[in-house]
Amino acid sequence: MKNNNLDKLKKEYMDIQIPDELDFLVKKALKDSGVDISRRKRTGLQKSAIAVASLAASLVLLTIGVNTSQAFAESLSKVPVVGSIVKLVTFREYKVDNKNYNADIKVPAIKGLENKELESSLNEKYLAENKKLYEQFMKDIKELEKNGEAHMGVSSGYQVMTDNDTIFSVKRYMLTTAGSSYTELKYDTIDKKKQVLITLPSLFKDESYVDIISGNILSQMREQMKGDEGMIYWIDEQVEDGLTEAFERINKDQGFYINPQGKLVISFDKYSVAPGYMGNPEFIIPTEEISAILVGSEYIK
Amino acid sequence: MNKINLESHIADYVIKNKESHYRLAYSYVKNREDALDIVQESIYKAISSKRTLKNPDHIRTWFYRIIVNTSLDFLRKQKRLVLSDDEAMLLNEAACEDSYRDIDLQKALYNLPDNCRSIIVLRYFEDLKIDEIAEILGENINTIKTRLYKSLEKLRIQLCESEEE
Repeated sequence: MKNNNLDKLKKEYMDIQIPDELDFLVKKALKDSGVDISRRKRTGLQKSAIAVASLAASLVLLTIGVNTSQAFAESLSKVPVVGSIVKLVTFREYKVDNKNYNADIKVPAIKGLENKELESSLNEKYLAENKKLYEQFMKDIKELEKNGEAHMGVSSGYQVMTDNDTIFSVKRYMLTTAGSSYTELKYDTIDKKKQVLITLPSLFKDESYVDIISGNILSQMREQMKGDEGMIYWIDEQVEDGLTEAFERINKDQGFYINPQGKLVISFDKYSVAPGYMGNPEFIIPTEEISAILVGSEYIK
Repeated sequence: MNKINLESHIADYVIKNKESHYRLAYSYVKNREDALDIVQESIYKAISSKRTLKNPDHIRTWFYRIIVNTSLDFLRKQKRLVLSDDEAMLLNEAACEDSYRDIDLQKALYNLPDNCRSIIVLRYFEDLKIDEIAEILGENINTIKTRLYKSLEKLRIQLCESEEE
């Protein structure tokens, strides 16, 4: 009887219905992780059928679905020249609205920098990254529609984190939702007085900041986990199984911004140091921890 | 194996075995959306910690382990948000009353503690060996054997009870 029951259970287990979008989501997760799976070969016949189908799909989408607003934001025409008022405006917006999938992509542009070279290199970067996001989205939708309905969303936008006499910090986010969501955050911090881009290494005298900041973050992680058992970061004690790669140190060019209080804030992408439900963790680094190795005290106080 | 090869090895593997991975995740979280989440998150995790895959031949146990851990992380998080015990009991009872036989079978399985259910699922449904299961769950072989035996016993009892009704 026991085996009979187990067989029955197994049958039920094997009958768990596989959602249509599983294949797509698996490939998407791989792509999001930076794995190139395009080299994988399909069989000839299947391939050409897919090519035809996706060509048809793309034509329909491009003619009906897309609402590309190329109008410049009104503020763009009113950029003051004197006093270098740096600001961020929505340069372009891409919108796709469909019952099952939608895209809302806002491309920011920085205006008012005297250093035009810096300004245009940042703006070109913003445009190129968003264009890529949009194109990838359209490609994904095509792929999905081959199996029926496409359920997916993508949005991108920006937020000015700090804007004071010296510092202009911008956060940009790109969010893809397809089952679970994946958020990528990027930051740019500009010194308005000197009109230069501030990088993380440029703030410090030498590379010792990597270890000092990492050490502080690790202790903050431990502290948070002690206070709440639902908080999980992948650090040594948590990953005793040697499976997940434990967080040890930040990258030299880790995402960061300087908050309005003049504190350095280190940011992590979703899934990089903690399970997905922890979101995009951020850590404020106490200035006294790093004051000895800072190049100066004009940015971080 | 270099970085690119390792990545495409993992990619090939997860694409080929996605359905097993989905079922395993589903056996923990019991709903479609969360199971899909688990599969995706496991892939992110696998790629970002690919260096921990010391021997590419062990990818099967390595990846199952990621799914099991991701599922447990997820349940742990969820437990914080769900219902008090009383509410949970009421819900369970309500579900009992109008259940029929096959659901009972499944319920018996789902009523097992997570660590016991994993063993049944991996052993009988995914056809893994005891030593592989021990590696996936990070336990020693004897613990697994004892637990497997106890789980089977429990399942048998629960099923007998429901048949007598």
